[in-house]
Amino acid sequence: MERAPSILLLGLGGAGCSMVARLSAALPAEVGALFLDTDERSLPADARTIQLGRQQTRGMGTGGETGAGLAAAESEEVALRRALAGAPVVVIVTGLGGGTGSGAGPFVAGLAADSGATVLCFATMPFSHEGERRQREADQAATALAARCHGFVAVHNDLLLQQVPADSALPATFAAADAWVGGAIRGLAAAFAPGALVPADPAAIRSILSTPGSPTLCAFGAGEGPRAAMTAARAAVECPLAHGPGAVTKVASIFVHVSGGPELTSTDAFDAVAMVRQKFGGNTATVLCARTDPGMAGRAEVSVLGASLPEPKPAKARKGGKGAKDDQSQTVFPFATDDAVRRGFFGGAPLTIVDGQDIDVPTYIRRAVRLPAGP
Amino acid sequence: MTPKPLPSLIAVIDIGTSKTASLVGQMIGGQARMLSFSERRTEGVVKGVVTDLEKLHACVHEVVHDVERGSGRGVSEVYLSLGGPAAEGERVKGLVMVPARDGRVTLKDLQDAVASARRQEPPAGRTTILYMRQPTMLDGKPVASPVGMTGKRLEVSFWRVTMEEALVRLRVGMVNGMSIRVRDFILASHAAACAVAQDADKHGGVLVVDMGAGTTDWILYFKDHILCAGSLPVGGEHLTNDLSVALRVSRETAEDLKCRFGSAVHREADVNQTIWKDGDRGLGDQQFNRGTITRVLSLRYQETLDLVRKDALRQLEGIFPGHAVRLDQHMLPSGVILTGGSANLADACEAVQQTMGLTARVGMPVFDNDSLRKPEYAGVVGLMRAAITDAPPAARRPRGLWEQLKALFRL
Repeated sequence: MERAPSILLLGLGGAGCSMVARLSAALPAEVGALFLDTDERSLPADARTIQLGRQQTRGMGTGGETGAGLAAAESEEVALRRALAGAPVVVIVTGLGGGTGSGAGPFVAGLAADSGATVLCFATMPFSHEGERRQREADQAATALAARCHGFVAVHNDLLLQQVPADSALPATFAAADAWVGGAIRGLAAAFAPGALVPADPAAIRSILSTPGSPTLCAFGAGEGPRAAMTAARAAVECPLAHGPGAVTKVASIFVHVSGGPELTSTDAFDAVAMVRQKFGGNTATVLCARTDPGMAGRAEVSVLGASLPEPKPAKARKGGKGAKDDQSQTVFPFATDDAVRRGFFGGAPLTIVDGQDIDVPTYIRRAVRLPAGP
Repeated sequence: MTPKPLPSLIAVIDIGTSKTASLVGQMIGGQARMLSFSERRTEGVVKGVVTDLEKLHACVHEVVHDVERGSGRGVSEVYLSLGGPAAEGERVKGLVMVPARDGRVTLKDLQDAVASARRQEPPAGRTTILYMRQPTMLDGKPVASPVGMTGKRLEVSFWRVTMEEALVRLRVGMVNGMSIRVRDFILASHAAACAVAQDADKHGGVLVVDMGAGTTDWILYFKDHILCAGSLPVGGEHLTNDLSVALRVSRETAEDLKCRFGSAVHREADVNQTIWKDGDRGLGDQQFNRGTITRVLSLRYQETLDLVRKDALRQLEGIFPGHAVRLDQHMLPSGVILTGGSANLADACEAVQQTMGLTARVGMPVFDNDSLRKPEYAGVVGLMRAAITDAPPAARRPRGLWEQLKALFRL
């Protein structure tokens, strides 16, 4: 073992482990995978694993009990601390609503943050068919996780259903989630890998995600053909992850990673970046990374990661690890993502809540359905 | 239960979110004939809720003025439609044990039962706007007319619609302000159903969905009676709004695009179809992807229908607790009748089939005037029908010679 991987990818719980297992085949060398679960059957044999709660659950799952998940993780605290040491970036992939992910997730994220790593968490939220209790527990866990992670991205399973045609096979549904999360992780890993044409400073990326609990933006798009990078950027701009419930669409700092085949032109790449910036912001800091890869001939991928400070502290809007002093004279205006735009000409009218949703907001926004691109 | 004497002149006003329509008709030989009709764009109503009384008042005033001029008669009393999410329907029951020793039900028993049903107070702050007769049960069996039959337990039930008192007073006050009396209220969804559903439909079971501009009112008939009804504050304006948000165009443009290119069902073939806003490709003309339009509209349309389905199921579960209620062909052989302005959207019936799994048709109001045979006029035409059928006309001849002459010339 020459050196520790720059990014430690943690699969936590059944859903997390299976997603990391699917992803790990296509990940670059900078990413090391680690599997954590209470259920020993979901831990792969040929990878780094930590089985949680051997005493408590005896190799079974937690059966959806959040308390059991937490206790299981606490019992392995020493092993976890050892495994988490040294990695500058820890990416946790988990599924919320069950026992291990919801229970152990916040604890593991806390340990990772204690170890000095920048923690980014991708959490899948349960399908709404899975019932209210699961949904409620997932929401609670998401709040707890988001407070401990530097970046938190919720992948709503309901979104997945809307991304695929009605007659597609079950694995294809989850492939969309794999593509988004995998793309974001590849983009992140690319910043740590040598040989980029436009290299990014890994520290700058860490600084984007420096504040725990800040709203995080994540988007990924792939494209092919002529001007593949532009196609990919358009897909990233329309990525449902960035338009899901509770997602932010304007952030102060973003990291954009563009990768393409050897024929990737600079115009194409920078047009793509401009398009992403126009959509997502990034006025305070934009960290760029571009690379070409012979294996990606004719294709391109754009991944975007961004964050701003939490809303109520506009005076500290200047982010980034450059040590810039706050500019007190500058007012930060709220972004126009709110009701005024979303509700259209019902903007002034009283809210109408049906089934817990404000039904004046267009259905396609609430369900985060990606509309066909313009003509 | 005494039939009210019906004047030969009947005026109805239907205040909707997008238009206010009024119809004046006359009963001649038991048949209603239209004398005049008027409609105006409603102002001051959003999602079925009055937001600007002054504007609405002006608009209603104009409509009344128009119909009075058109018919050449002064309107002294009107039937008013009430609906929207503010109106709530519920079932009230009255019960008497038949006192006669031989168990024969007398008219007085029936009246007692009716009185006991009506004695139930509506919730505080709400007022009853109308009662509608539901099946009468004698010893648990439905009977058409119990008087003279024998039994022990007589049960009458009504569909009672209540509304917040302030809202009712607002409307009544507005009409009274024009020296016009409100003769009666009629539930808007019931009115629409009267225009588009046949008696056979109501007997078998039918769901009438009146999708207007601001609200979607639905009513479910089963065995000739109202089983449940409801209303959602979503309508055609939401379709327009969604489109204007998605395409970033003005309300007018969105409305126009909705009518010309909209569909309640999104098809793969719509994507990549480019359409032009004006079609002349001149300055200011814009092109849009038709797929975007149908996607946005179909999502909203089908969501609205789904909300209706859920609302209906929720109410049905309340009526038949413990039963697995399903809205299917078995319960509703006549399926769904879609009416109101938003029923004009292309493929509306297909959307109903997809979301509810029921057969559907667009209900055109049955009326002798061609120009009113459109779904958007179901409300006002039905109001007229309901006004006639709910209070059957008394045989009454015009009194004075002058009245008789007038009636003669009108024929």
